[in-house]
Amino acid sequence: MSRLRRLALIAGVLAFWELAYRLGLLNPIIFGSPGVIVKAAMEDGVTFLVAFRLTLGEIALAVAIAWFLGVGFGVLAGASEGLARISAPILSALIAVPLVVLYPLLLAWIGLGPNSKVIFGVLSGVFPIALNTLVGVRAIEPGFGRMAQAMGASRRQTLFQVLAPLALPAIASGLRLGTALIIIAVVLSEMLGATDGLGFWISYHRSLFNTGQVYLGIILALLVAALANFGLGHLERRYGAHR
Amino acid sequence: MKATATASVDIIRVDGLTKTYGEDARAFTAISNISLSVKPGAFNTIVGPSGCGKSTLLQIIAGLVPATSGEVTIDGQRIDGPAPDIIGVSFQDAWLLPWKTACENVEFPLSLRGAPAAGRRERALALLKLVGLEAFAHHYPDQLSGGMRQRVAIARALVQKPKVLLMDEPFAALDEQTRTRMGAELLRIWEESGGTVVFVTHGLTEAIYLADVIHVMGARPGRIIERIEVDLPRPRRIDMIGGEYFGRLRNRIWDLIAETGP
Repeated sequence: MSRLRRLALIAGVLAFWELAYRLGLLNPIIFGSPGVIVKAAMEDGVTFLVAFRLTLGEIALAVAIAWFLGVGFGVLAGASEGLARISAPILSALIAVPLVVLYPLLLAWIGLGPNSKVIFGVLSGVFPIALNTLVGVRAIEPGFGRMAQAMGASRRQTLFQVLAPLALPAIASGLRLGTALIIIAVVLSEMLGATDGLGFWISYHRSLFNTGQVYLGIILALLVAALANFGLGHLERRYGAHR
Repeated sequence: MKATATASVDIIRVDGLTKTYGEDARAFTAISNISLSVKPGAFNTIVGPSGCGKSTLLQIIAGLVPATSGEVTIDGQRIDGPAPDIIGVSFQDAWLLPWKTACENVEFPLSLRGAPAAGRRERALALLKLVGLEAFAHHYPDQLSGGMRQRVAIARALVQKPKVLLMDEPFAALDEQTRTRMGAELLRIWEESGGTVVFVTHGLTEAIYLADVIHVMGARPGRIIERIEVDLPRPRRIDMIGGEYFGRLRNRIWDLIAETGP
């Protein structure tokens, strides 16, 4: 019932949007309309799907690298008093840097293409993931570590079988934040300087005032974010809830 | 009764143990020149005011904290690090891993050593039965009461068949009734499993009720001020707590602790 009502609401909004557009109440360049978006999809759908796949691949690669590096470093640094004290403020500072100003430099060093986008994505996501993981590991009551020690756990066993799982709720929220930042970074980098990808095509059609195509790109970009959000929400519910 | 009667060579020897934190002018001596010995099979309690270093002492005996000087020998083995095969430890908090069931928590020390899964499951279930929790083997820690979690922790501490069980105020976080019941349960477990126990507490009643031997500690610096053998028959009964001997012993320990200052 509620699902039906939700569908009806969406259909109503779309119909109202289309109607307002046809009646000339909306500026066509700013607002477009559902019909215009469908038309754009029929004209340039293939281009956008190819771009979508490329962007998705870049994001997936950046996410994998950032998760691996961020969680790995966060666990190691969190488990060591000295390393934690040095790296936590540095990580906080790095998160505050508007990394987007570095993108032109990155382009100069690495050139256009997937590599620069992936690296920019990793840089945008890895620090919050590492900091969240580090803080999560630091927040574990020291009694757990002492217990593991008393049970004869090696340092590695303590790290991966006790501390890292205990920090999972914090790690999961870091992954969520970091992944969102990576999606933004990759799409943004495509808009700033690239030759392909979702962001590139959004930017390209924007400059030609092809409002339908711009909206189509935006919808696909939102789809990436929604997919990631769904997957991470699942992850958090699965592993983030203990205790 | 049984412990003093079967007195033989000491299973735990502590010689001239001192622990100092910090250096020079700011140095703080947590415990100073502590020596004590424990007979095999005996239930020993260490009682003292808060801040007397009794937990520090226990952690040094357990090999979890290095001593500044002095040495600990358990079953002929010099202790200079964790020795899970001869020492079981339990703490004030149970520290159960929340994503593991009671049974998996008890198995955990065995799995760390790479013991085969079938054998360790069997062993863990036997221990949960010993602590009266066989019906809760597949419950998660957040489905258990505080007392039950401590029982799981005790089962886990015993799972590697240690020679000695070291307990650091394991019932301090429980309410009084549960604490009393857990004390009786612990005595039953101890009698059935037949190891040596060193039990740290700040509760005088608990210290007397459980013990064959009480080591009374004073504060600033932490030191042993008296060793008392408890002359009460076993099995212990709750009503002994109200008896005359018990009361006198309690007063004596209270006076000893009070003399050393707050």
